[in-house]
Amino acid sequence: MENQKNFYEKLNEKVESKGFAFTVLVTVAILIGTLVELPPFFLTKQVEPIESVKPYNALELAGRDVYQKEGCFNCHTQMIRPFKWETDRFDPNKAYGPDPYSKAGEYVYDHPFLWGSKRTGPDLAHEASIRPSAAWHKKHLINPRETSPGSIMPAYPWLFENELDIEQTKANMRALRALGVPYTDEDIAAADKLLKGKTEGDAVIAYLLKLGRDTMVQEEE
Amino acid sequence: MEVNYDNQIVRWYVKSAILWGVVAMLIGIWIAFEMVFPVLNFNSPYLSFGRLRPIHTNGIIFGFTLSIVFATVFYAVPRLFKTPMWSPLLSRLQFWLYNLTIVLAAVTLALGYTQSKEYAELEWPLDILVVIWWVIFAVNFFMTMAKRQEKHIYVAVWFFIATIVTIAVLYIVNNIALPSGLLKSYSVYSGVTDANIQWWYGHNAVAFVLTTPILGMMYYYLPKHTNLPIFSHRLSILHFWSLIFIYIWAGPHHLLYSPVPEWAQTLGMVFSLALIAPSWGGMLNGFLTLSQAKEKVRTDATLKFMLVALTFYGMSTLEGPIMSIRAVNSLSHNTDWTIGHVHGGALGWVAGMAIAAIYYLVPRLWNAKLYSEKLAETHFWIATLGILLYYVSMWASGITEGLMWRAYDASGMLQYPNWIEIVQNLTPFRFVRAIGGTLFLTGFCIMIYNVYKTIQNKGSGFVPTDLREGA
Repeated sequence: MENQKNFYEKLNEKVESKGFAFTVLVTVAILIGTLVELPPFFLTKQVEPIESVKPYNALELAGRDVYQKEGCFNCHTQMIRPFKWETDRFDPNKAYGPDPYSKAGEYVYDHPFLWGSKRTGPDLAHEASIRPSAAWHKKHLINPRETSPGSIMPAYPWLFENELDIEQTKANMRALRALGVPYTDEDIAAADKLLKGKTEGDAVIAYLLKLGRDTMVQEEE
Repeated sequence: MEVNYDNQIVRWYVKSAILWGVVAMLIGIWIAFEMVFPVLNFNSPYLSFGRLRPIHTNGIIFGFTLSIVFATVFYAVPRLFKTPMWSPLLSRLQFWLYNLTIVLAAVTLALGYTQSKEYAELEWPLDILVVIWWVIFAVNFFMTMAKRQEKHIYVAVWFFIATIVTIAVLYIVNNIALPSGLLKSYSVYSGVTDANIQWWYGHNAVAFVLTTPILGMMYYYLPKHTNLPIFSHRLSILHFWSLIFIYIWAGPHHLLYSPVPEWAQTLGMVFSLALIAPSWGGMLNGFLTLSQAKEKVRTDATLKFMLVALTFYGMSTLEGPIMSIRAVNSLSHNTDWTIGHVHGGALGWVAGMAIAAIYYLVPRLWNAKLYSEKLAETHFWIATLGILLYYVSMWASGITEGLMWRAYDASGMLQYPNWIEIVQNLTPFRFVRAIGGTLFLTGFCIMIYNVYKTIQNKGSGFVPTDLREGA
């Protein structure tokens, strides 16, 4: 139909019958964007550290693992965007200073990040300040509709029956230490004490009460 | 020379696509109803939304979609190369390892073993399994390509090459993790770095599992089914190279207004907008080819599915870039709108083309006339109605949700400070969505009955008929 081949057709013809060359070109095409967007995160400083942010202790980390296990991130985000309507909603107690949205420095110990992509339930990034009551959380986890009539969240009664695996948590902390989380031997040994007799539910509550705790602005005097 | 094609492996993959399709859609419908009736979680870890949702997404992407992609590759590539697959043994090894992985994925996810990165939930032993069968697939594919009798590499194959190469790169980089137990590991990346890599992966899983191989399917089945050449080879070249080059940059549009650096967000947004051109290039090439067989669309359900697939491909690839614009994203992000957007692509484009592929392949693979064109027609209308209900209800839900989150009253206070009040407002939309999904699966089950009856007549002889002349 088209007798005259244009520039692109002539160009492509050179590789249309050469499988190897074609595959190499495809690889190059998809690596360019990759090499622009990924390496700067390792080669340059992209995160402003926040000194007050500390790693999760053994119980909080165990709670974070439960949070991952139950897939809480499928419905709860942990990232507050810099909009007034978000900071008004997720910093009701004005606990985070003049710009109370999420900062990169808050997440440096998060392997993996748990920002989520769907906010079916409210954001939890600063839950420590929004709902500091462990008793409320326990009631809510056992039956969300008891504390929040009309909620569509699943109930998690089994969390308060399942015990924690202390040795696994210690192994987890050692793995995270290898990845750069500054755990000391004492931090890891503390798992024995912190996790003893605790349930998955206790741990997840400890984790929720850690979210946003380190970056709250201290009351003066 | 008569080439002996291996149809058995294609038959297996068609069956595995149908099986995983039903399972994953059923779970999708279940969790859609859970969002309306939370009692359906039954206070059970194995039925709770948080554990089921990843089984639904992984089941659709890696169970249903990849199965039909493999079916197409093992059917079309040997025919396009005029060469049987290099190793039937590797084909079979891959099939069983792949299906084993999907089974283990469903089991481990139900038990709560997850890396918690979207579409990369599988824990490290399964990741290794995935890499093994992907390498087996790549070796088999490239050896077949090396031994091919037909020198020219047809455009459908370009898209399969891009899929094989890119998925390997994406999957390995995003899943690098340090194990701390048999089924527990931590991503080596943290915080914003992890977020950036995850959405580079996540967005390109959409690109290279749910787009490029499906375009490859379009470039094979559409001309074969209509007996017409692709409208423009020049357009194929342009949109192929620009699509794969641009797609890879677009990931950070998932992270707008996040603490990920501004430069990455802007790149993500700009390249997402640029993606409209190559995406629509593919859609137009499909439409312009189809338009040469206009009158056939009226009477041919397979072509109707392709038409709907292309329509939704066009809609999703325009909607996606629009949602990547910061101002729009501030409203749409984290809402049901995103879920609607994804399902426009997944139900309309991916499943539409997959279903067309099944209707194309089954009569040829089992050598029997399709049991009922009429049932296929019924399937088409029920499925289309289902998609529309899903899409429209999620638009309504997502925009309602986003507007309620940001609404202020006259005194300058949040108008809906009570989260539950917002959630309750969305329930009717979410109910309609669940009905839409149910309709879609109902149509799918009609297809399964049709396929089953066709297979019962296997060997009775298949002659491609032009439905324009038939009844």
